[in-house]
Amino acid sequence: MSAVISTAGELTNGQVPLGEAVAFWILGPVSLAGAIGMVLLRNAVHSALSLVATMMSLGMFYLIEQGPFLGLVQIIVYTGAIMILFLFVLMLIGRDASDSIVETLRGQRWAASLFGIGFALLVALSVGRAFKGSKPVNLNSATTNANGQNVNSIAALLFTKYLFAFELTSALLIIAAVGAMVLAHLERETPKRTQKEIARERIRSGRPQPLPGPGVLSSHDAIGTPALLPDGSIAPESVMASTPGVRELPALDNPDNIR
Amino acid sequence: MSHLLLAETAPIHAPSVAYSSLSPIFIVLGAALVGVLVEALVPRAERYAVQMVVTIGGLTAALVAVGLLHNTAETTVAGALAVDGAGLFIQGSVLVLSVMSVLLIAERSVDVGSAIVASAAVVVGSPTDRRLARTDRVQTEVFPLLLFAVAGMLIFPISNNLLLMFVALEVLSLPLYLMAGLSRRRRLLSQEAALKYFLLGAFASAFFLYGLALLYGYANSVDLPAILNASKASPKSDVLLYVGLALLLVGLLFKAGIAPFHSWTPDVYQGSPTPVTAFMSSCTKIAAFGAIMRVLYVGFNATAWNWRPIVWAVAIASMAVGGIFGLTQTDLKRVLAYSSIAHAGFILVGLVALDKDGIASVLFYVLTYGFSTMAAFGVLMLVRDADGEATHLAQWSGLARKSPFVAAVMTVLLLSMAGIPLTSGFIAKFYVFKAAFHVAAPLVVIALIFSAVAAFYYLRIVVLMFFAEPPENGPTIAIPGWSTAVALTFGMVVTVVLGIFPQPILDLAAKAATLVG
Repeated sequence: MSAVISTAGELTNGQVPLGEAVAFWILGPVSLAGAIGMVLLRNAVHSALSLVATMMSLGMFYLIEQGPFLGLVQIIVYTGAIMILFLFVLMLIGRDASDSIVETLRGQRWAASLFGIGFALLVALSVGRAFKGSKPVNLNSATTNANGQNVNSIAALLFTKYLFAFELTSALLIIAAVGAMVLAHLERETPKRTQKEIARERIRSGRPQPLPGPGVLSSHDAIGTPALLPDGSIAPESVMASTPGVRELPALDNPDNIR
Repeated sequence: MSHLLLAETAPIHAPSVAYSSLSPIFIVLGAALVGVLVEALVPRAERYAVQMVVTIGGLTAALVAVGLLHNTAETTVAGALAVDGAGLFIQGSVLVLSVMSVLLIAERSVDVGSAIVASAAVVVGSPTDRRLARTDRVQTEVFPLLLFAVAGMLIFPISNNLLLMFVALEVLSLPLYLMAGLSRRRRLLSQEAALKYFLLGAFASAFFLYGLALLYGYANSVDLPAILNASKASPKSDVLLYVGLALLLVGLLFKAGIAPFHSWTPDVYQGSPTPVTAFMSSCTKIAAFGAIMRVLYVGFNATAWNWRPIVWAVAIASMAVGGIFGLTQTDLKRVLAYSSIAHAGFILVGLVALDKDGIASVLFYVLTYGFSTMAAFGVLMLVRDADGEATHLAQWSGLARKSPFVAAVMTVLLLSMAGIPLTSGFIAKFYVFKAAFHVAAPLVVIALIFSAVAAFYYLRIVVLMFFAEPPENGPTIAIPGWSTAVALTFGMVVTVVLGIFPQPILDLAAKAATLVG
């Protein structure tokens, strides 16, 4: 980290150092391509992965711009935690559950694209105009003050100027926790079955061995994919009936569709 | 490297917090935390009663605290919050109306349990769902969620710094998204409403954040007074200021349900449980207007020439959308939703004035509108058929023959919304138009035309209730329990009394019309 800071520290007035310019021209197209791919790709997993590319490039941008805290948080929290959660959810739901492309409002797609592009142009042009002629400044000197460097300055701000906003975010966390419980927590109304009861029931059911796992990774990455038996036929018990996406798989009755 | 940094670091000094000025916020947040603990610790049978005591007790205590603070005018926590007359008036209005919405939520005699679902996590239409719908079990988390939303609404209009305003916006919105999905009847519609509100709300919040970032780029600060100073003195290009303000306004206008950012309003108002709709249409609107007022009057006072045309345009759009689309609705909850869009337009007319009279008239308007709309949604809860509330207009025809009293109450509330003399709605409209007349006479004329258009559809409902033939198997009128009766009577009395003796509240609003920052 200190290496990045010291190279960028040699910034002369009004000039972007070579290393930063090279990094920008490599990462810029990558992040843009990721963002466009995220919108255009049909497969949800590919979409999520291109968003990861965008977020990683953004994280690198922050690091280069001498925001080590922001850069690392971007990579650890967004790419590391949130996007991986996204991927988990996508795998659980089944990647074949694709969007319906029927337009419920006529002409909405065109109107949305038109307004979207118009808005992007408006913001890009006005922000571009606002920064025209302004000279790049070395952020190292801007974020280093009596409190120390970037990270220390952020900490100082959180506990002084933005104290109330910072403390208030704890209310947000509590709301989120309560909300998750409200939406997802089913209360147990019957007493929990003991291990003994479960074991007895299993032996009596006529199928003491565990159910086969799903066909994840053999041909598909969705948990709704059924496993194949040695003779190539489908093992229907290998998928849970409640898994969303099972119904969308065209392959269930014809094993040829799976291989 | 780390110990080197530590050695250089100067000690930081925590900002001073005026705990007394912020006491209403702390009381409501504290009550919300107690409510969460009640969920965890109190057995189900007693939970409902305990939650009621905690919620109403907390809100009332906060209201008393607001009353005790009435002369405060200061900024605190390093200038992040500005406790002043206008802010306290908004806080008081939010607290009074939230107590009324709690009373409506507490209604348990017109529907088994309440208007709130027994368990939100149970799959709609499953056997468990059908069984639970007949029990008096209630998802009592709705009370702490409401308290969190109220806390957000208390902070939102007194935030003097846009970052805090954003966090407060989220604190008030997140519980509302959840509460919108908690309806006991027509659960799929309610969940759709919650999802729509959540997605569009997140979209609007993103605009707010983008605007905040651009304004920071312009003023090098997110404090409203700092933005004002930068806009007065800056030799820089103003593009960032205007684009930032425009994006910021998108987020704020969305929350207040102002056209063209209103599209969520009818669907969400229709799908949410009726007491929650009442809460949203009164308290959220008041808090949002408090925040819009603070942003425009404190942060952008010097650039009024640039934002006034925008406010003109959205006010006209809002009155037009509310007035014209409201005419074509057949569901009473949607009619009230469009009415709230139209009213938002009228309130914006008062904001154009940019003086003390403007602030006072807006404060008075949001309060009276809050009472009328709260009581109107309360009446909606009483007219029922086998499927729950009978909100279709056809079911309301000839209601006066079945229950002249309910029809009369609804008539007074609708007349107040239409702005007929001797109701609070007339006084409110009169003062808003009077305040705006000297700076925006054409806008006031347009507003008068649209209030005539809107009056038509309120009167259409009145005529329907009194002169149309009742349908074959029409709705029945439920006898309200004590809590709804109290809330309805209070809303009704305030609507009439403020139409006849508005002076005390007008004086209070005029005295409160100060903004520090």
